[in-house]
Parts: sequence; structure tokens; C-alpha cells
Amino acid sequence: MSDETKVDLELDLKGLLCPLPMVKVSQNINNVPVGGIIRAVATDPGAMADIPAWAQSTGNEVVSADKQGSEFVFLVKRVK
Amino acid sequence: MEKVQLETLTGVIDKKMNRQLKQYIDICARCAICKDACHQYVGTGDFKYLPARRAELIRQIYKRYFDKAGRFMPALYEAREPDDNLLDELYDSTYACTGCRRCMYYCPFSIDTAWILSVAKAILIAAGRGNEMLGQLADAAIFKGDNAAMFEGVMLSGFDDISEEVRAITGDPEHRVHVNKEGADVLYVALAGAHSIRPAAVIFEEAGENWTISMFEAANYGFFYGDTEKARLITKRYIDEAKRLGVKEIVVPECGHAYRVAEFFYEAWSKEPMPFKVTHILEKVDDYIKSGRITVDKGLIEGKVTYHDPCQLGRNGGKFEQPRDIVKAVTDNFVDLTPNRAEQWCCGGGGGIVAMEEFKDVRLKSGAKKVEQLKASGASVLACPCENCRLQIEELNEVHELGMEIWQVIDLVVAAMPLPGNQKGAEATE
Ligand code: SF4
Ligand code: SF4
Repeated sequence: MSDETKVDLELDLKGLLCPLPMVKVSQNINNVPVGGIIRAVATDPGAMADIPAWAQSTGNEVVSADKQGSEFVFLVKRVK
Repeated sequence: MEKVQLETLTGVIDKKMNRQLKQYIDICARCAICKDACHQYVGTGDFKYLPARRAELIRQIYKRYFDKAGRFMPALYEAREPDDNLLDELYDSTYACTGCRRCMYYCPFSIDTAWILSVAKAILIAAGRGNEMLGQLADAAIFKGDNAAMFEGVMLSGFDDISEEVRAITGDPEHRVHVNKEGADVLYVALAGAHSIRPAAVIFEEAGENWTISMFEAANYGFFYGDTEKARLITKRYIDEAKRLGVKEIVVPECGHAYRVAEFFYEAWSKEPMPFKVTHILEKVDDYIKSGRITVDKGLIEGKVTYHDPCQLGRNGGKFEQPRDIVKAVTDNFVDLTPNRAEQWCCGGGGGIVAMEEFKDVRLKSGAKKVEQLKASGASVLACPCENCRLQIEELNEVHELGMEIWQVIDLVVAAMPLPGNQKGAEATE
């Protein structure tokens, strides 16, 4: 993850159980402009598969997905 | 509406309306008994949520194209074209329906409004008006199935972390989450979240079960979306895994619709007999307790405990007693909700509605009956074996300041097992 990445929206998804982290990212994707970035922090490990699968099947992009301690941090880019 | 689109819609109706459904729309006496059975109508007073009204919209479209009188004199016979107004109302009344089938239970003719609304979903999808969120969730699940290798690394690492937590609870260094184990007797099809795997793994390992998990979760948003082909593909992911691993039994988690999909729908969708025994995890756990394969202590759970029958497991799945027996095995302080079992009120969170933000207001209002029941029970702990129900009831708990603890049943069981890491385990699975 690059420190310089401009984040347009922060989503705190800690404590939410799957598939809710994916649902919340999807619900918020139109709240950033095309090319914009959502930074989402989840704690359910299922999100590590769910959010990338959602991004792939909707034509968006997971720029990075990192495990940081007990948290999973995603940078999701709105592509269209 | 354009001719081509109209032809598509009438084609869908023609294909979906079988004899039983035609009979339903013919025999409705409009007695409105169902209105008092539907938590959404009761909670909102909104006419569009009255069960018979929801079905009426389908009847009107059907009459317009498939009934002689309706075709020639639509105004006289309440036949309508599926214009934007009708489709807007159909969308609201269809996707808001939680599929609880409480209206059917009270209808003198047992009219299955939720089934009629499966035709409505097919019409809406054909008109390009299917619910976007449910469609996306279904597509993501199918994508995971088609690209399993892409997710294997992260999932295995997640299972490793859960294995460590399991060992911390049971104190047995051999215990773990078994993944893709060929020759296992049982395939546990969990939900995507760790909360559904950890307590189940503790119980399976303590019971000495020969079990495994696979990469695919049980939740099926294709079913909620209303596309049986998507729903079939999502289920097929774990059916194929079960065949490959050679298991004898599929165990579904604490998820209402997942049980119904595996037990009742997959055979019809796939047109092949289900090659495995399908069991709900609470049937297994009940059996483990009664046969002495796991031990639970009464007294470790504090407070009065009650139980909510998820509609898909209870009224629509026939599983009323095993979950109650489990709860009664872990506490002497059990109180049932009133009414209960087949008459249980829907909590308002089923049918995928918790994922559809546009229905939040009606969803929360429609929980009024559940809130009433919970308050009247005087319980401080609720056991509830369905993810969607728990999400809804947790929100009701907060909004109405009920101060209750909402638990998965398997979490209650783990907390009542005399295990070295029990306290830690109970906290970890909350
Ligand atoms: S209770 Fe049954 S017959 Fe009466 S209005 Fe409702 S669906 Fe129709
Ligand atoms: S199935 Fe449940 S939510 Fe749907 S109309 Fe009937 S009572 Fe209402």
C-alpha cells in the first residue's frame, strides 16, 4: 500500500460479519467518484475473499488487501 | 413497454406459473386474514405490504395476458399491464417480503404468497429491475466458485488462525479446522465469517467427528435475488466439493435459508437427487449432547434464556425441538417466546432484506412484534440460529434498548462446555 494513495472515503467495518463488509463496500462505492478510493478496515477474515470477489465480479479493483494484526485493510478503487 | 420486453416478461410468467400457482391466484377469497399474520403489514400499516395485495399484482399481470376476459376487457377484470407504476410497487412488495410464510400458515387456503413472489422476482429480473445488491452478492459467490484457486491462500491462512483459537479453547494441541479432507464423513458448509467456523470446530473436534470444511460458504444470495440458476450454481460449488471429498453428510450452519436450499430446493434446481444426507448443525449438536459425545454444564450461562425460531428453520424447515433441547441442556432458566414454533413472529430480517439499505425503515418497523415478544419474555439472553435474524434482532436490541445478549446457539454450547479456554472461548465467539 502506498502512503501517498489519496483516500476518498474511510469505512470502519470492524466487528461486521461476512458478508456485511462486502455489502458496505458495495453500498458506498457510488459515494466516491470514478477512480476514487475507499479504504475499508474489516476484522472478519472472510472479507479477504469476499471483497476481492465482489470487486472482480462488478468490474471494480482492489488496489491492495493487507492483514495488519487482527485487521484486514482494503484499498478499493471505483473503476466505472 | 416495448414489445420485445413485454414478450420476455410474458414468457417468464408462462414458464413460471404452474398449476399450483394458478390455483393460488384463483382461489384467494380476499378475506384479508393474512394481513394480521404479516409482520411487515402489522408494523407499517402500509397496504402494499399486505400479503394478498402483493400477490394481487401478479394476478393482475397474469389476467392481462393469460385470461380470456382479462385480455379483452382488462379494466373490467382488474387486469393490468406491467407499466412502471406496477413494476415499482411490485419491486417494493416483492423484495421487502422476508419469505417467512407466516401468511400462508394463517391463510384458510394455505396460499403461499412467498412462492407467488418468486414469479414476481423472475419478472423483475427479466425487466432489468432485480435487486442490484442481491445480484452482486450472488455474482461474487459464483465468481469465488469459478476462481477458487485465487482465494485459496487467504482462506487457508484464515483457517489456520481459527485453528489456533480452537486450540486455545479446547486446550488440545491436535485440534484444528480440517480443510478439504478426503474421506471425511461430514462436510461442514459454514458461512464466510470465522464466527460460524470457530464454535463448530470446537464442537466437532470435542465430539471426535471425522469432519472437514471446504472453501465455499452456505449463504445463497442467488436464492434471495430470485434467480434459480444463480442459486443452483452457488449451491453446486459445495455439492461438487462434497462429491470430490467423498463425504456422507453435508452439515449446514446456523443459517435459515441455507438449510432450506440444501434440504428442499437443490434437487429441484439441479434435477438430480441429493447424493448426501443434509443435516442442520443443531441436529448434530443435539445428538452429540444426548449421546454424550460432548458435555455441557448447566449454570455456566447466566440469566433467563429465550429462543427465536428462524422462519426458514422453524415454520419452513420443521426444526423446532432440537434447538430448544440444546438450549434447555445448557440452562435451567429457559423461557419460550409467545407465540412460538410454527406461529413464531418473523423478526423482519429474512429474505436478504438486511443487505438492502432501501428497506431499512420498513425492516425496523416490521420488527415491532419481535420486540414486543422479547420484552414480554423477560429474558436477558436470546439464542438465535440464523445470521440474518441475528443481524436484525441485534439492531432492534440497540434501537429499542432491550439490553439483551444475542447468541448463536453453538456459541452458547461452547460457553457451556467445561473446557480449559472456555471463558476465553465464550468471549471470542460473541
Ligand atoms: S388469507 Fe389467503 S385467501 Fe385470505 S386474502 Fe390472504 S391470501 Fe387471500
Ligand atoms: S411471506 Fe412473510 S413477509 Fe412475505 S407476505 Fe407473507 S407474512 Fe409477509
